[in-house]
Amino acid sequence: MSVEQTVARAQMPTQMKDTRPGIDWRGRALDRAPFLVACLMLALIVAIYGSLQSGVFTLDELNLDTAAAMTLMLAATGQTIVLVRGGIDLSIGGMISLGTVIAATRFTDDPSTTAFWALAILALGFLIGALNGLLISLLKLQPFLVTLATWSILNGVAMIILPTDGGSVPGWWVGFASGQLLGLTSPVWMLLALLAFWWWFRATRVGIIIQASGSNEKSAFLSGVSITRVNIVTYGLSGLFAAGAALFLITQTGAGSPTIGKDYILPSVAAAVIGGVSLFGGRGHLAGTLIGAFVLTLIGNLVFVLHVSSYWQPVASGVILLLSVLASSVAEKAARSRVL
Amino acid sequence: MSAFLSRNRLIVLAYAGMIVLLLVTAIFSPGFLSVSNMRSTVVLAAFVGIVALGQTFVIIGGGIDLSVPWVLNSAAIVMALLCGGQDLPLVWVMPLLLAGGALIGLVNGVGVAQFGVPPIIMTLATNVILQGLILVLTGGSPTPSAPALIQFLSVGRIGGFPVIALIWLALTLVATLLLSKAAFGRHLYALGTSATVAEFSGVPTARTTVLTYLISGLTAAFAGMLLTGYSGQAYLGMGDAYLFTSIAAVAIGGASILGGSGHYLGTVAGAMVLTILTGLLPALNLSSGALLVVYGAVILITVSIGSETFAGLGGRLRGRRV
Amino acid sequence: MDLVTVKGLSKRYGGIVALSEAAFSARAGEVHALLGENGAGKSTFIQILSGAVQHDGGTILVGGRDYRPANPDAAQARGIAAVFQELSLIPDLSVEQNIWFRHEPRTLLGTVNRTEMRRKTLALLEKYDFPALRPEQELRRLTLAERQIVEIAKGLAKDPRILILDEATSALPAREAEWLLKLTRQLAAEGRLVIFISHRMAEVRAIADRLTIFRNGGTVAAHEAAAVSDDEIVTQMIGRHLDRLYPERVPTMTDRVALKVGNLTSGSRLSGVDLSLREGEILGVGGLQGHGQRELFQALFGATKASGAIELWGKPVAIGNPRQALTGKDGIALVPEDRRGQGLLLTKSVRENLTLSVIKRFTESGLLSRQKEAALVKEMVDFLRIKAGTPEQLAGTLSGGNQQKVIFGKMLLTQARVLLLYDPTRGVDVGTKGEIFQLMRDLAARGYAILFHSSDMPELVHVADRVLVMRNGRIAATLEGDYISEEEILRAAMLETRAA
Repeated sequence: MSVEQTVARAQMPTQMKDTRPGIDWRGRALDRAPFLVACLMLALIVAIYGSLQSGVFTLDELNLDTAAAMTLMLAATGQTIVLVRGGIDLSIGGMISLGTVIAATRFTDDPSTTAFWALAILALGFLIGALNGLLISLLKLQPFLVTLATWSILNGVAMIILPTDGGSVPGWWVGFASGQLLGLTSPVWMLLALLAFWWWFRATRVGIIIQASGSNEKSAFLSGVSITRVNIVTYGLSGLFAAGAALFLITQTGAGSPTIGKDYILPSVAAAVIGGVSLFGGRGHLAGTLIGAFVLTLIGNLVFVLHVSSYWQPVASGVILLLSVLASSVAEKAARSRVL
Repeated sequence: MSAFLSRNRLIVLAYAGMIVLLLVTAIFSPGFLSVSNMRSTVVLAAFVGIVALGQTFVIIGGGIDLSVPWVLNSAAIVMALLCGGQDLPLVWVMPLLLAGGALIGLVNGVGVAQFGVPPIIMTLATNVILQGLILVLTGGSPTPSAPALIQFLSVGRIGGFPVIALIWLALTLVATLLLSKAAFGRHLYALGTSATVAEFSGVPTARTTVLTYLISGLTAAFAGMLLTGYSGQAYLGMGDAYLFTSIAAVAIGGASILGGSGHYLGTVAGAMVLTILTGLLPALNLSSGALLVVYGAVILITVSIGSETFAGLGGRLRGRRV
Repeated sequence: MDLVTVKGLSKRYGGIVALSEAAFSARAGEVHALLGENGAGKSTFIQILSGAVQHDGGTILVGGRDYRPANPDAAQARGIAAVFQELSLIPDLSVEQNIWFRHEPRTLLGTVNRTEMRRKTLALLEKYDFPALRPEQELRRLTLAERQIVEIAKGLAKDPRILILDEATSALPAREAEWLLKLTRQLAAEGRLVIFISHRMAEVRAIADRLTIFRNGGTVAAHEAAAVSDDEIVTQMIGRHLDRLYPERVPTMTDRVALKVGNLTSGSRLSGVDLSLREGEILGVGGLQGHGQRELFQALFGATKASGAIELWGKPVAIGNPRQALTGKDGIALVPEDRRGQGLLLTKSVRENLTLSVIKRFTESGLLSRQKEAALVKEMVDFLRIKAGTPEQLAGTLSGGNQQKVIFGKMLLTQARVLLLYDPTRGVDVGTKGEIFQLMRDLAARGYAILFHSSDMPELVHVADRVLVMRNGRIAATLEGDYISEEEILRAAMLETRAA
């Protein structure tokens, strides 16, 4: 073997690790850490709640709490998809407001008219979301700014249609939320449906491509992914879920409101973050987000039951949010230090 | 001259847009360009401008400050409570609250720089925590009215010029000096462009980040106190609108939301544009909803102009490799 | 009869000609090597072939038919797949998910058929005798070498007629590199065409049937591998004699110790390094990649945490971050490995980049002085002969060599006399390389102390006064004078320890 051959052959990197022995349990646990922390927090909150109030561990309570959390859950589902993509969608606030406003002014007792408008709202949600995605890709703008602008526009349109809270929604639509099947109300079935949806979606090519684009957009692009199409689908789905959130919200409020949406924007991000979805994209599971949504909703119950001013709720939410993020950042650092 | 123009292209465009807007508004609303009207426009813009000052620094550094609404609101309410309508307490209350705002900023900054909490989450958390704390403090009930001195600062005039406009001018000079003529500015632009390169170049990245949030807390608190003077009262929710407008002003002024570019002078134009638009409302008989639509459209248009697509286009037209 | 024929291919980027009149032809069942320096046009050529970039002029025929793919997907449809140095892998997906990305086998529900995917993965890995890979493992856990292998599997999964490998062995250790070379012969035997870019003559000799040489954006010659000598190849690649690249060796070392390091340890890669660097000395650091060289440089500069004793000019110092390293005349400066990610602000001007670390030097009573800044900028631009239209030009628009010069200038302005240079000539054109080597010797003559790492062994041999060879995070050998040779470096890097 000549010097040149030796030289050529030796010129470079590391010994390859034999990756065969055993599954990396510690690594896997660290990855899931934020999610586990969220589960723990939920358990803790439920435990305290249950110790101070009777009837907490019943189906009734589950039905009630899920109904209270469902709007946020729907909004947060769309946001989770966007966060996994590595973006953010601030416009869902506007879409939710607009959805409630259109419903409250257009729904009538006639089922077919109402069905038409409900579908129209959903379609509108998807289309506007798709437009967000298009603007982000074509104009090469940051999602934060684009969705901030479209939030403003949607909010404005909602205010034009219905300047103050009002309108009405047919009683049977409101009643949907209390409809029961096997002792569980519709919100609980919706919760299961959301989980089923996610479990399916994540295994489709589209879902994988969205996750890939969030994990490393450059690599996805080099692999031939059309980033424009990914953005259209991602933000379109977010808009769709926001519209769905609006349709559910009116079962709880019975009326339309041009300003109600903004209360769901940042909480949808918070719920996802608490549940372990990474703000950098590429990782996250809806189960975490839904747990995060439960945590945020139940804090309200807890504050009530502890007989402290309800004003402590935002404080508790903020503190819990910070704790989650610190927990996941510690876990992420530990996980990352094990690579290369 | 042309070099200056091309380097500060976006700021120049922002001012050009502002002037065009002024003229358009004047067409629809003949009295708009009157001295008294321009004066009140500048006063209103000053509040946005002051809050947006801190936001500008934070955004150039690559972050964002979502805690602005309740830092503003907290300072307003606590000031009203501590002063009880009297002027004298202001002597210690004002510095105290400015320090308080700076302290919140410090907390934000440390969370972001030291603990690696994403800015959106960190400032969101401090915002809601402050909200809760203030609500607990006041129990939701109204606070005493603002001391006369503060009212003078916000509404009064010196030699025909609104005091607050002078304050804004002074702050603009300070901000411009910091950004263009001080080491801090260079560090900030480097940090916002690439934190890694800044670190490898010996830039004190953690300290710079913390300072930006500190400044933001300071200006938000200051604006809160001034706003109380303006409306005579501190009320709950008075800070909410300023989150959107502070970010919008920075964006319209040409700064990249990712950081590394932009200038406070551009934000000033952005604040003016937003305020003039608000004045366009009654002139065109538009509802407040329509205003929001217009705001959104304006943001989209202005940031598109600043974005890569057009920059690339312009470069290619001139045959340069961009 | 050829599978690929290219005539008169050209491509410009604005005012820069990347390719002009490039010609190429290759047959099925052949391994065809592309040779040429960095910037010669090879990368552009294969980017065009793989559909990542559109060519301006010229024709390409694949299988006799005209070929002008609009994107990589279209290229794939014609059976062409590329494995680039820049990996296209997704960190949060598993190995097998990456291999079949966008081509996963599906179930009726539209979801990925995991069993089928696993079966196909194992079949692929088996067929080509892949080194150990676990399909379910998350990509972010893999080393660079392992990722390169996954990238190769990804290319093969597309069952291409033509496979392009761009420096695929550069990230692979010896055993795996040999596997890859065997693989290319196997693919050729299957009737495919393998286009293989490499800088390593030995590899090219081992597998190539034919080769094409690029220079300055054009193809200079094509040969049957057996019919041409190494010297001829090198001459055609460089277009001139190799000799002038390295400066004359002049003794510049004094007795003063500039940098003394005791038991420097950091993480798992740096396990206790002792060294001393003298004033006027160029001390080379070599050894196989990944044995602690990068960690050593970063630890000395404060970019990573380390423990151990460091003395600069006889005084003990604590360097916790780069800011503490760049303290002026008695400081220590680093020209880092990653030009674009660690060294330069690409969207800022040359001026802003040059002066970023020394703002104090042009500050008067708190305010920046434009004149003083301009003077400093001029000093460096002139001294280093930085080719930029004006100092306001954006750093991102400069050539690799000039970008490197800007980084040098930035560090020289800090007046630190101990310089850490990590692979300073990587990706730099030959002309600038020569300038950089001469600069190093000139600085040494002026009393600078230089610690210098290169992944190119000849550079270490010809430029350094002494060479430290690292192995497993420690200094395995110190080579001086006549003992400095590629053979000795390798021996120390791979075999037994040799006393200095």
